[in-house]
Amino acid sequence: MRYILQRIGQLVMVLLAVTAITFASVNVLGDPLTNILGPLASVDCTDVEAGLVEDISTRGGTSQGDCEVIALTRAEFNLDDPLPQRYVTWLGDIATGDFGTSFQNQLPVSTVIKNKLPVTLRLVGMGLFLSIMISIPWALLSAYRANRAFDNVSTVVSFGLLAVPNFAMGVILFYFFAVRWQIFPTRYDPSNAYSQIKSLVLPALTLALPLAATYQRLLRTDLITTLQEDFVHMARAKGLPSRTIMVRHALRPSMFSVLTVFGINTGALLGGTLVIEQIFSVPGMGGEIVTAIVRDDTPVVLGIVVIIVTAFVVVNLLVDLMYSILDPRVRRG
Amino acid sequence: MADDISTENTEVVLDEAELEIDDAVKKKLGVGFWIAIVWLVLVVGLAFLAPVLPIDGQNDVAAGGRLESPSMDHFFGTDAAGRDVFARTIWGARVSLSVGFIAILSGLFVGGPLGIIAGFFRGKVDAVISFIFLSLLSFPSLVLALLIVNSLDRSLKIVALVLGILAVAPIGRLARANTIVFAEREFVQASRVIGAKNGRIMVRELLPNVLIPMSALALLGMAVAIVAEGGLAFLGLSVKEGATWGKMILEGADPRTLRTGTHVSMSPIMVLFLTVLALNYAGDRVRSYFDVRETAF
Amino acid sequence: MAEPLLTVRDLSVRFPTTRGVVQAVNGVEFDLEEGQTIGIVGESGSGKSVTAKTLMNLLPRSAEIEGEVTFDGRDVREIAAKGEDHFWGVQMTMVFQDPMTSLNPVKRCGEQIAETLRYHLGHDKKKAISESIDLLERVGIPEPAKRERQYPHELSGGLRQRVVIAMALACQPRLLIADEPTTAVDVTVQKLLLDLLDDLRKERQMSMILITHDLGVARGRCDEVAVMYAGRIVERADSHTLFSDSRHPYTDALLRSIPRIEQPSHTRLDPIPGRPPELINPPVRCAYAPRCRFAQRNCLEEIPDVSGVVGMHSFACHYPANTERGEAALQSNLDRGETAGGLHLHAVAEGAS
Repeated sequence: MRYILQRIGQLVMVLLAVTAITFASVNVLGDPLTNILGPLASVDCTDVEAGLVEDISTRGGTSQGDCEVIALTRAEFNLDDPLPQRYVTWLGDIATGDFGTSFQNQLPVSTVIKNKLPVTLRLVGMGLFLSIMISIPWALLSAYRANRAFDNVSTVVSFGLLAVPNFAMGVILFYFFAVRWQIFPTRYDPSNAYSQIKSLVLPALTLALPLAATYQRLLRTDLITTLQEDFVHMARAKGLPSRTIMVRHALRPSMFSVLTVFGINTGALLGGTLVIEQIFSVPGMGGEIVTAIVRDDTPVVLGIVVIIVTAFVVVNLLVDLMYSILDPRVRRG
Repeated sequence: MADDISTENTEVVLDEAELEIDDAVKKKLGVGFWIAIVWLVLVVGLAFLAPVLPIDGQNDVAAGGRLESPSMDHFFGTDAAGRDVFARTIWGARVSLSVGFIAILSGLFVGGPLGIIAGFFRGKVDAVISFIFLSLLSFPSLVLALLIVNSLDRSLKIVALVLGILAVAPIGRLARANTIVFAEREFVQASRVIGAKNGRIMVRELLPNVLIPMSALALLGMAVAIVAEGGLAFLGLSVKEGATWGKMILEGADPRTLRTGTHVSMSPIMVLFLTVLALNYAGDRVRSYFDVRETAF
Repeated sequence: MAEPLLTVRDLSVRFPTTRGVVQAVNGVEFDLEEGQTIGIVGESGSGKSVTAKTLMNLLPRSAEIEGEVTFDGRDVREIAAKGEDHFWGVQMTMVFQDPMTSLNPVKRCGEQIAETLRYHLGHDKKKAISESIDLLERVGIPEPAKRERQYPHELSGGLRQRVVIAMALACQPRLLIADEPTTAVDVTVQKLLLDLLDDLRKERQMSMILITHDLGVARGRCDEVAVMYAGRIVERADSHTLFSDSRHPYTDALLRSIPRIEQPSHTRLDPIPGRPPELINPPVRCAYAPRCRFAQRNCLEEIPDVSGVVGMHSFACHYPANTERGEAALQSNLDRGETAGGLHLHAVAEGAS
C-alpha cells in the first residue's frame, strides 16, 4: 500500500513536470497574442501612447490594431502575469475542469477534446486488444514447442515486424486492404457505428502488429523460463493436459515483463497514433494536436498533452495494481 | 499428438547433473551480424558518395515520364513528378542517416554522462537525474518533437537534435544501471581505495565498461531515430529541404499514387525496413554477445 | 509371484549437447512389486533424477531414450507417445525435491489440489475443494480449511511439502516417485515427512520409488535399494543385504561416509575422494575406478558386468568388497600405497582402520 502511494506521488510529480515544461515551451517559443489577434498584435502600444506611432484605430482602422483590444486580450488570457503564476492559474483551471478556450475557433478546449478523444480512445483500445489477442496465443504456441519449426518462423516474423516503422506498416496495410482489395474504406467513414468500427480496423492493426511482436518476444522468453520451473513439472506429473498447464499454470507467472513494457510503451503508443490517424485520416486527437501545434493554439496543445500524460500516469498505476493481482506475493509487500 | 511440453534445452536437466555446459557456441556474432554490417556499410557508402555517383540529382525530372515502373533505366521507377526514385532514395539516405546518427550521438553525449553521474554518486543527484529521465520518458515523445521543431526551424540540425533529446532518457537509464553494477566491482573499488579522484574513476574505469552496452543501444537507437524522422515527415514536420525516406514514403502513400505507382512508396519502405532490420539485428547481436541484460528502448 | 507393477529393462538416456553426447543413464534395470518401495541412491549426476524423469515422461524432447519401461503390463513410453489422458497423476505421479518451487506461486494451495481432482475424477468445484481440505488434513496440516485458501508463500517449507504430497496423492496413484522429497526442508521436519510418506504408502498399498543421495534416508524405509553411479546401477539388493553385506566398493564407501548411531561419537567419517566422473565420452572402464580403493589394472580397461539376476543381489565389480577377491585387491593396493587408478591411499587407509 505504501508502495502504491509512493508511486502515485512520483507519477503526480511527473505529471506536474511534464505540463510545466510544455506550458513553458509553448509560451516562450511562441507568442500567444499573435495567434489570437493576428499580425497587428505586434503594434507596440507604448510607442502609440508616446505618440511615436500613429494610433490606427482613430483613423477607423480595424479594431484589432487597437491598443485597448490588445490590453483587454492580454487581461482576458492573463498574459501580463509572470509565467509561473500563469502556470498555477492554468493548473487551477484544469483542476476544476476548465481547459480554456481554443485561440483558433473560440470553442472550449474541453469540447474539442470531448469531440476527438473517443475516436482516439477507440483506436488505441482496439489496437491494444488486437495486440493482446495476437501476442498471447502466438507466444503460447511458440513456447510450447520452443526452437522448433513454428517457433523459428515466429522469431523471424516478429523480428521483421519490429523493423517495420508504424507509418510504413500503415502504408502497406492501406495499400493492400484499402486501395488494392478495397476491403476497408480509404477514408474514415463516420456514418454509423459499424462503419466507424470498420474504418478503425486497419489503423488499429497498424498499431497492434509491432506491439504484438514485442509482446510475443517478451512473453515467449518468460514462458520458456517458466516452463522449466518445478511447478510446471509438477503439473505434468499430476497428469494435467498441456493446454491447461500452458494457460492456467505457465501464463500468469510469465506476464510480468510484458506488463512492465506495456506501461512504458503507452507514451510511445499515443505518439504512434498521431501518425496513424494521419495516414488513415481518422478524426482523432492526433490530427487535432498537430494542427494546434502548427497554429500555436496553446490551450488546445496543453489540454491534449494533459490528457496524454494523465493517460500515461493512469496506465502505469494500473500496471502496478496488475502486478499484485497477478502475483499474490506482491500483495503483502 | 504427444502430450509434451518442450523444455528449451537440455542444459536445465543437466544442470542437476552438475555438468559445465560450454556456452562458447553462443558467444559468436554470427553470419547474420556481418550481413547486417555489409548492408549498413553499403547504404552509408552510397549515401556518402551520392554527389559523385552517376545518378540523377534529387530534384531532376528524368526523361521518360511519371510513375514509371522499375526498369533498367530507373531501378526503382519514377515518382509522380517523374523523378528517379532510386536516386532519391540514395539522396534521402543522406538526410535520414545523418538525422539518425546526429540524434543518437547527441543522446550519447548528454545521456551517457548524466547516467554515469547518477549511477556513481547515487543519493540526491541520482534522484534528480532519474526523475528527469522518467519525465522525458513519460512525455509523448512525438509531441515534444513536434513542439520544438514547430517553434524553431525544420533544418536537419534541429530535427536531429530534437530526436537526440528523445534518446537521452533511454541511454541515460542504461548508463546508470550499468554504472551501478560496475561501481560495485573490485577494480572500481580498488581505484577508490588507492584514492583516485571521482572524475578519473568515472572516465577511466566506468566509461569504457558502460560504453559497450551503450553502443548496442546506440545501434537500436539509431533505428528508432530514423523511424522517428519518418513519423515527423508524416506529420508534415520533417526536414524542410531535400528528400528523406519519410517524405518519400509519404509522397507515395497518396491513394492515387499507390494504385498506379506502388513502387514510389514501397521502394523506400523496403530500404528503410532493411536498414532498420540491420540496425536492430546488429544491436541485438552485440547485446547478447556482451550479455547486456538491461534494455531501455 | 505376480507380475511386478513396474519393470525397467536396459534403460538408457542420452542428451546431445554442444560438447558431445551425455550418457546420463546407462542400462538401468529394476523391478518394483505392487506395494513395495525401492530406494535409488546416488550422488548428484548419478542419473537417478533423470531416471525418475524418464519414467514420468518429463525429459526434454532432445533426450534420446532407449530401453523398456512397463507399468502394469503396458509400455509406458507408448502411453507417453500417445498422450494418454488420466495416466500420469492417476496411475503414477511424482513429488519433487523443492517444495518452494514445485507449487505454483500464483495459485491457492487448495486450488492446486482441486484441479487434479476435477480433471481426473470429474468432481465439481465444490466437491473438489472439500476433498482437498480432507487431503490436507490427512497429510497433517493444521487448520486445513484456512490453508486451502492460502498461497504457497504463506506456508512454511515443511507445510508446503505436505501440500505437494497431498496434491500427488489426490487421485490415489499406484506408484509414487519421490525425488529427494526431504532434501530442501529442515532436518527437524525430514523425519516427520518421511514417516508420513511411509504411513500413506502402507495405508494405500502404494508402490514408491524413493530417490535420495542419502543412504541413511533409504535405510529402513525401502524393501530394495539400488545404488547408482555415473548412470549405471552398480549394486542392487534387498535393503537388509545391502546395508549389512554390500559388495560394490562405492556402496561400501557411501556406507562409511554416513554417520551411524551405533558408532561411537567422534568416529571419523570417510568422505569419498575425487569427483564424480565425466558423462561425456567416458573412457571404457569402470566409472568408479579412479576413486576406488580396490581398483586394479583391469578395472581401468573393462567395464564390469552386472552379476546376478534382477530380484537378487546384483552388483557390477571386478573386486567386490567383503569378498576374498576384493580384500586381496584392497590389501595389495594398501601395500603399494596407491591404486591402479593412481589414488593415494594413506589418509584413507588410516581413516578406515
